[in-house]
Amino acid sequence: MTSAEAALHYFKKAARIMDVGERIETLLATPLREVSVQVSIELDNGEIRTFRGYRVQHDNARGPMKGGLRYHPEVDREEVGALAGLMTWKTAVVNLPYGGAKGGIAVDPAMLSLKELERLTRKFVDQIQDIIGPNRDIPGPDMSTNPQVMAWIMDQYSRYHGHSPAVVTGKPIELYGSRGREAATARGLLYVCREILRDVGMPMAGTRFAIAGFGNVGSHAARLMAADGGLVVAVCDVHGGVENPQGLDVQALIEHVKRTGTVKGFGGGTSCAIDDVLVCDCDVLIPAAVGGVLTREVASEVRARIVLEGANGPSTPQADEVFEQRGVLVVPDILANAGGVTVSYFEWVQNLQHVTWDEEHVNAELERMMKDAYEKVGQISRSRNLALRTSAYVLAIGRVGKATVLRGI
Amino acid sequence: MAISTQLLKKVLQVPIFAGLSPTEGGEFLEVALELVEPKGTVLFQEGEPGDALVLILEGEVAISRKGVQLARLSGGSVVGEMSLLDEASPRSATATAISETRFLKVPSRWVQKLLRADNVAALKVVANLAKVMSKRLLAINEKLVVALEHRDQKTELADFSQILTRWEF
Repeated sequence: MTSAEAALHYFKKAARIMDVGERIETLLATPLREVSVQVSIELDNGEIRTFRGYRVQHDNARGPMKGGLRYHPEVDREEVGALAGLMTWKTAVVNLPYGGAKGGIAVDPAMLSLKELERLTRKFVDQIQDIIGPNRDIPGPDMSTNPQVMAWIMDQYSRYHGHSPAVVTGKPIELYGSRGREAATARGLLYVCREILRDVGMPMAGTRFAIAGFGNVGSHAARLMAADGGLVVAVCDVHGGVENPQGLDVQALIEHVKRTGTVKGFGGGTSCAIDDVLVCDCDVLIPAAVGGVLTREVASEVRARIVLEGANGPSTPQADEVFEQRGVLVVPDILANAGGVTVSYFEWVQNLQHVTWDEEHVNAELERMMKDAYEKVGQISRSRNLALRTSAYVLAIGRVGKATVLRGI
Repeated sequence: MAISTQLLKKVLQVPIFAGLSPTEGGEFLEVALELVEPKGTVLFQEGEPGDALVLILEGEVAISRKGVQLARLSGGSVVGEMSLLDEASPRSATATAISETRFLKVPSRWVQKLLRADNVAALKVVANLAKVMSKRLLAINEKLVVALEHRDQKTELADFSQILTRWEF
């Protein structure tokens, strides 16, 4: 089961617990619009390459649709569709005035030069500029797309529609980006983590973290948890892992990664395998890389008391059941990693209002929204005796459902 | 009891008597009773055996079923016509005079007798009746389609809305 299929599975589970009926379930699950476009470019050597681009807009009951744009060879319409649905539920959990969307181009960006990447991005915008827009659908960064790509999108869209910074988020700070955007997902994890630790009566000081994945989310999470008094006892990336039961020196580790490109070989701990990090002795496990790493087998060996899903879909549904049986608390992706889209929302708000917030303001607003979302999900979880994931989906379905009913079909 | 020529002329304007000659009309209405009832009189009651066709000449009659008023009929309208086709069937609705009402009552048994004798007047009336009924059926089918569509949407969305109120969001 792909993580996209898993998301649909979790949605259906919650919909059935709510007993919304098959027709409403279908209504909520079916994307509003799926667009598939040809993206042809001339390579630097004069050859022509044709790629497939997708944009799926899932639901707009709660507002303009929002979701990332990924460049990955395995992107297809089905996956993009399921991820668009995930964005509908995620934006609803944190109560952003958005619906969900997702897009992608089936391409390996490592094979393209910077100029080719720019041509590819601009060509894709040419193909979808009539269905996106500040009040329609607002793309953002995702796998292999960065602030530079977002800048090209803004520029290309503005050629058609006039100056429109709010058409895309995740832009560079120098070009209408928001402060705090880069660390936003990790910061959201921090705020949610503080809440759940308070609920289970554990102080942040001395809490041991294992972080699987050391990209944008993992590295910032390590930094923020350590700064808040936590001990980062194990980390890994695709190349390997490193652990230290006394706590890794995160600052030194980040510098090591800057120098070598990997956590592997860091002197402040002992080397270990990637899987060792997932099952190491710790209190909080943060999967912050690809989806599906927590399988049934791994889940039965996880020693953490709390799993904080920094990545999208790190737990398979079977693993999720194992966690539930074993009493491991899982803070689901649609709640835990919603900090990213929340600060994207702040960026959009700043762009629409022609203002700039300082980082303290961004972080304070983020904290408020993450706390509110956690509190609401927690209420449903306690009153109905449901896992946090199911509760989060129930909350999302409820909010999208209410908007749908109020608008009428 | 014979009815006046003047009244007969008027009655022949009513659609279910279309195409009848005055002689045929006279034959059909040969045993018809001309009655006058005060406001509030129940001309016939839902569920009781239908034994006659009623042709309203003057006044207004309310047609209701299970307490719900379906229609208000006035002079020139025919009620209880279904009893002509099936003597034994109970009245499907109640007819109540809402003003002083003058009407003609044609016993079903008389019409049945005429039909058994292949009486042309009775056959013409039944043919007219079939036309009227088929028009009504079409209209009802249209209403039914609208009602069913309406009901499906309304209920499903309302049911969902109801479910949402059971959760605190």
